[in-house]
Amino acid sequence: MSNPSVIRESRVSRTAVMALMLLLAVYFLLPVYFLVVAATKPQGDLAATNGLVFSHFNLFENLRVLFTRSDGVFGRWALNTVVYAVLGAAVGTLISALCGYALAKFPFRGREVLFSVVLGGVLVPTTALALPLFLLFSATGLVNTYFAVFLPSIVSPFGVYLARVFANASVPQELIESARLDGAGEFRTFFSVAFRLMTPALVTIFLFQFVAIWNNFFLPMVMLQKESLFPITLGLYEWNGQTARAPLLQQSVITGSLVSIVPVIIVFVLLQRFWRTGLAAGSLK
Amino acid sequence: MRTRLATVAAAAGVAVLAACSSPAPSGEASAASCTPAKGKVTLQYWNTVPGMDKVVDLWNQRHPDIQVETKNISNDQYGTLGNALKAGKAPDLAQVGYDELPNLRTQNAFVDASACKTATAAKSKFVPWTWSQTSFGGTGVFAMPQDTGPMALFVRRDLFEKYHVAIPTTWDAYASAAQKLHKADPGLAITFFDPNNAEWFNGLLWQNDAKMYGYSDDKWQVTVDSARSRQVAAYWQKLISGKLVRTDLANGSTQMYAAYQKDRIASYVGAAWGYSMFRDNLPKQAGKWSVVPMPTWGTDGASGDWGGSTVAFMKGGKHLYESVEFNTWLNTDPEALAMENKLGGLYPAASAGLRLPSLEKGVAYYGNEKIFDVFADSSKKIDTSFAWGPTQKTVNLALQDAMAKAAAGDGTLTDALSAAQHAALTSMKDQAIPVTAGK
Repeated sequence: MSNPSVIRESRVSRTAVMALMLLLAVYFLLPVYFLVVAATKPQGDLAATNGLVFSHFNLFENLRVLFTRSDGVFGRWALNTVVYAVLGAAVGTLISALCGYALAKFPFRGREVLFSVVLGGVLVPTTALALPLFLLFSATGLVNTYFAVFLPSIVSPFGVYLARVFANASVPQELIESARLDGAGEFRTFFSVAFRLMTPALVTIFLFQFVAIWNNFFLPMVMLQKESLFPITLGLYEWNGQTARAPLLQQSVITGSLVSIVPVIIVFVLLQRFWRTGLAAGSLK
Repeated sequence: MRTRLATVAAAAGVAVLAACSSPAPSGEASAASCTPAKGKVTLQYWNTVPGMDKVVDLWNQRHPDIQVETKNISNDQYGTLGNALKAGKAPDLAQVGYDELPNLRTQNAFVDASACKTATAAKSKFVPWTWSQTSFGGTGVFAMPQDTGPMALFVRRDLFEKYHVAIPTTWDAYASAAQKLHKADPGLAITFFDPNNAEWFNGLLWQNDAKMYGYSDDKWQVTVDSARSRQVAAYWQKLISGKLVRTDLANGSTQMYAAYQKDRIASYVGAAWGYSMFRDNLPKQAGKWSVVPMPTWGTDGASGDWGGSTVAFMKGGKHLYESVEFNTWLNTDPEALAMENKLGGLYPAASAGLRLPSLEKGVAYYGNEKIFDVFADSSKKIDTSFAWGPTQKTVNLALQDAMAKAAAGDGTLTDALSAAQHAALTSMKDQAIPVTAGK
């Protein structure tokens, strides 16, 4: 007799959970929806029409204006962002993987202390480091160059932490031993054995870094003066500050924001399979 | 430190002396020397103007030996400048609003360029009031005027015609027009009063010759709260109390445009640089707008200024001669002015700029009216002796706080003036600037 009541309960709770999820989805997607709607409107409709309802469809014209404004500087910013994010995340992931692997598989004196220091690094927000970094780079003459944004981007304490956990979990000591017995050097062992086993984890680290660099705003703002080095975030911010003098910039800021989130969405969709396995593996440890 | 600050402040105070004064006290560092550098020079110019990099590109092409690098600091203009000054890394040239000049001069942020002949000779090329503010009443050359915001009234001609209300030319007529429009359509207000916009309100004070500061006997006189400023405050208070103007809209906000879009507001008390706001944000109202001279106080045709800025010679710049050459070109050369007007929407401070071809044509959005004739005329009617204070920002904030209260029914705009007067006195005393309440 108890069976039906259990089912009923679970149906009620399942409906409740679904409703909550739906609510949250709406909550999170509403700004994106607004962005899509706003990006299709001409400037004149932004203030004059309801923000959540489509009006005159002007997306293609907006895109044309966006990419031709100021000699196509937006395209330059987009390219910069891609360079910062893809290269930064790739190099950052490799470094994290090497560090994490070394910390997991090589016993050496001070290993735990070193690991604790890295963990401590996770707790320091990158925003807090921007100013000290600026002074450091200023002294070495790196301010206002690609390296000013690129170098800090390849450092990820959290990536090192994840890589160590993953290396421990997914690379059996026996495999490393047998690779060594077969005569492989340490780097060879890492790249042909450990690296492959750690792939799902590395994708996770890559994604984390990619998104962090893509959205990075404060660091480039502190480091860069030259418009030609800006990432999209900083460029749009600069345009937004000028809308009082040039009202039509507002539409370009909105269209530019929409364009800037598209690659992130694509990367997530393509890599989400790895992302999920990576997260799941991490959650067990 | 206190005494030094005070000396500098006293020097800055000469601003107010304007035409009727003896020469500057020689307390402050005399004008820097003006010798051309040998070889190539690179200048830094920080600005807030869209498209300014293009104008500078043109200069750089023509002057291989004086290269200029720009940086846009629109988002935190004075924060960025202030930090750079503290760090000793200020640019050679920087965009500074007229009302911020005395504050920065009090902080000793500028270099006097009057040793350069090109700089002193530029005086005759600018609309008089702008030069009197950048030269602090003729005591040096601290900046070149770049753009201005001569005020005028933007009106929805169609709405006035629909309700058979004449377009007002005096403030009295404006108040009665407000009443008529409101009676004809209770949902319609003649304009809005933005309580968080002291700069705008200051422009209205300027128009009524309500000088906020005076200077004599080595002392500042604060006259923020005066008979003339109270006249302006009482006038707007009456409109607010009668619910004839809206107080819930911020200038340039989406809500503001929406209210205009829905025909809820019939006019806009604005400045020259604002002409693109309506054109770009309310394209459907093309042909319905007109620009007419500011309503006047009685028979006095004076106008006021709202906004605009200068390009200042910053302390620490090592190439004064080259800075002057570039700065003068940037702000008086017709080609440069035309580009700044087209790309950045600047309304020039140079007299030659008022006659740019693009400013002599009719503007399609405004029914092909020659609206810039109205602004040029307004520009000539702006009092030259009006001056800003060394703690203007503090005063503006105090004014806004109290105006916001008044708009919410707590106190009046006249109270706001006395709050601002108090803020001016205490903030200057805090900085050891000799000050007294003027009459």
